[in-house]
Amino acid sequence: MKKDKLKVGIYELTGCAGDALLILDCEMELLDIFKAVDIQSFLMAKSDNIDGELDIALVEGSVTTEKEIEELKDIRKRSKIVVALGLCACVGGIQARFQGDEWEKHLQEVYGDTEMNHVRAVASQPIDAYVDVDFYLPGCPIGKEQFLNFFTRVVGGSPPEKYPQPVCVTCKYHENDCLLKKGIPCLGPLTADGCGSICPNHNVPCYGCWGPVEGANLRSEYYLLQEFGLDIEAIQQRMANYSGTKFSEFFEQLRKETK
Amino acid sequence: MKKISVEHLARVEGNGGISATIDGNVVSEVNFIINEGPRLIEKLVLGRTPEEDASMSPRICAICTCSHKNAVLRAMENALNIQISQKSYLLRELMHMGEFIESHSLHTFYLALPDFVGFPNAVAMASQYEFEVKIALEMKHFGNHIMKVTNGRYIHGENAIIGGFGKYPSREELIWIKERAINFMPFVQKTVDLFCGLDYPDAPDAETTYVCCEPGDDRFGFWGDEIIVSTGDKIFRNDYAQLTNEFVVPHSYAKHSRYQGKPFSVGALARIVNIGERLQGEAGKMYKKYYTPQWKTNPFFHNPARTLEIMHCFERIPVLVDEFLRLEEKSSTVEYKIQDGKGTGIVEAPRGLLIHHHEITKGKVTYADIITPTAQNAEDIERYCHIAAQKLLDQGQEDKIRSRMDMVVRAFDPCISCSAHMAEVKQAPVDAWKNKLNEIKSQGDPLYIGVGNEARSDDGVGIQLALELRKKGNHQVLLESEITEQENLGISANQQPLIFLDAIDFNEAPGKVTLIPLNYVLQNTALSHRFLPVISGIINYTQAKNAYVLGIQPLSIQAGSQVSPQVRSVMTEILEQIDNRTSS
Repeated sequence: MKKDKLKVGIYELTGCAGDALLILDCEMELLDIFKAVDIQSFLMAKSDNIDGELDIALVEGSVTTEKEIEELKDIRKRSKIVVALGLCACVGGIQARFQGDEWEKHLQEVYGDTEMNHVRAVASQPIDAYVDVDFYLPGCPIGKEQFLNFFTRVVGGSPPEKYPQPVCVTCKYHENDCLLKKGIPCLGPLTADGCGSICPNHNVPCYGCWGPVEGANLRSEYYLLQEFGLDIEAIQQRMANYSGTKFSEFFEQLRKETK
Repeated sequence: MKKISVEHLARVEGNGGISATIDGNVVSEVNFIINEGPRLIEKLVLGRTPEEDASMSPRICAICTCSHKNAVLRAMENALNIQISQKSYLLRELMHMGEFIESHSLHTFYLALPDFVGFPNAVAMASQYEFEVKIALEMKHFGNHIMKVTNGRYIHGENAIIGGFGKYPSREELIWIKERAINFMPFVQKTVDLFCGLDYPDAPDAETTYVCCEPGDDRFGFWGDEIIVSTGDKIFRNDYAQLTNEFVVPHSYAKHSRYQGKPFSVGALARIVNIGERLQGEAGKMYKKYYTPQWKTNPFFHNPARTLEIMHCFERIPVLVDEFLRLEEKSSTVEYKIQDGKGTGIVEAPRGLLIHHHEITKGKVTYADIITPTAQNAEDIERYCHIAAQKLLDQGQEDKIRSRMDMVVRAFDPCISCSAHMAEVKQAPVDAWKNKLNEIKSQGDPLYIGVGNEARSDDGVGIQLALELRKKGNHQVLLESEITEQENLGISANQQPLIFLDAIDFNEAPGKVTLIPLNYVLQNTALSHRFLPVISGIINYTQAKNAYVLGIQPLSIQAGSQVSPQVRSVMTEILEQIDNRTSS
């Protein structure tokens, strides 16, 4: 008897839709992806979507409205495996910079006093702030190779490969001159690998868009950038751009020390 | 009340919906709803360096990432007074074309075509259109490949930087792109013939104002320093606020825009309508062959317009590559100094005019204003959906409203992440006008304006209502005949709501009351003549946004001074409701 295909749903919360788009960008593999699994829901690609039980839910985007919290919890209930797809889902995205009062203030500045009657906004959070997440696929946007690798393994019933190393590892394979050695503030050492060290390959410093690599030596990078003459605020901002809510503890610690 | 809604619009990029409320024979409300939460990108970049801003702000949208990149870079380079090299300029244009090819082929073949040939998605469509689906994937892949070669990767590439590029691509990579573009022309021709030959639904059918960038030198192109409006106006980039007038609506975190009080359209159709006659080569021939005045009044023609642009890109690429390679190899960037300044960059994204304005003070971004195409199209999306829904309702095809609205929204290829999934049709509850009236009253005491002809029986109801209200003495009331000039309205450009009281024939039971935005009446040519004398030039933009019509279905408007019993009884109800303060 033929084995039933895995039921997969691809969902978009708030973000640029780049991760879902990147799946559509797997042009040469796309028809095979649709054949290998049963895509139950993929709003960007099809109209006949069903919200039922799923084997795998790929969730992109950060949680920024109360409605999305409900949707996310419903997806978790219906799915065996939940995957955080992309930087926004993994760490909250660039929009996670503002939290609490600061967020309230900026929301008011942009939208004024108009009372929104469709959805209520909340400060941006990664999806694991609300539900358990089984796997993380970081990147702004996710990388094609990393996604296809992940997809093939999970569909084949194997656990996905891990990427425990920072961008610097791949950068060395590309034999790039280290930008930090030239005094250019590159975030490669703090950033999870998976992009193929694209920016340093183009002489552009890493902005950190894959989010923090586990065990990154934040302190060491911080002091190095200070040596380059960057002020404390500039360094913190640069490190915070793509790390979502993840570096906040370190910054808290720094603030205490520098007081 | 019945509501037709497409809560999650499928086959669009992002999360949004459209809803229409039906009150008897009238579509009383249409809302383009964007469910995406606010990301406050313009605030996120504050305090960042210009370089960080140029990396972050394109994150607004994955599909228009190169357009955002080009727009933010043009803004920054204007602010910092940087002149990039001709080589970099050509490479940026090539990068921009990669995005057009990718976005347009994705939209036309995968998101739009299934609608017109009757399939739920492109994969299902592949059973009948296998060749088109496969080759279109290759075309899309080619667009992505160009972006990867020029900007580093498909989405959110970082090779384009302030001052030029991190690194120029190799000669081999560019030659490959040139040859691939030439080899693709037969399929491009097929694409144009396919989309220009499709039968598009005739509703909605209405004129609009079209807006796009002026590429200059009588050329067709995707950026410039001026904005062209189809009315003949031209706006310099720094004065973009004259065009956009962004305002917040309560049903969306994407702001809306109007030009001189009217909705306008941006995108492929706007470009073809405004500057399509400048197309050269095969694209120019195809424009002459297929373009008809009908394109101007129907948003479904965005699709053939996109294919003409695809052709333009494929013809332009070999020229760009040749020119790039002919120029001497120099540094890929120019040196620049960070200084205080403000700059605006305007480009055409695949879905329309995109404006970036950034200000730099002491090396940090201190202000950012980003106006996306979908925000500009939002008003026209609502307007065209309303026109289509009302027309289908008039023809007794209510069951088609939902899918048609879905298609109308999709025709604009809204990039909802840049603002905002999408269609809903609702039935209004009995006496929906009462709740609506309370809602309007809660914004402030309305000014009531009686309209009509007392000598024509029920047509006098508006005037009579106004006179009754005036007698009560606690309302602001005017009669049609008393409005001759702005001052007579007795209000400044504030937020006071206006409610016109009038007999309107909606083909309903006599005495039925409908309360709808004034715009909807104006969109209906059979009804608009009644209000034109009243409003032309007198009601300004801010007031028109907040103006409504309380319409009463007359039994008869024959000559006679008596109002029919049905209308008389509802008059009492209306007066009570206006006086009723407890619920407001």
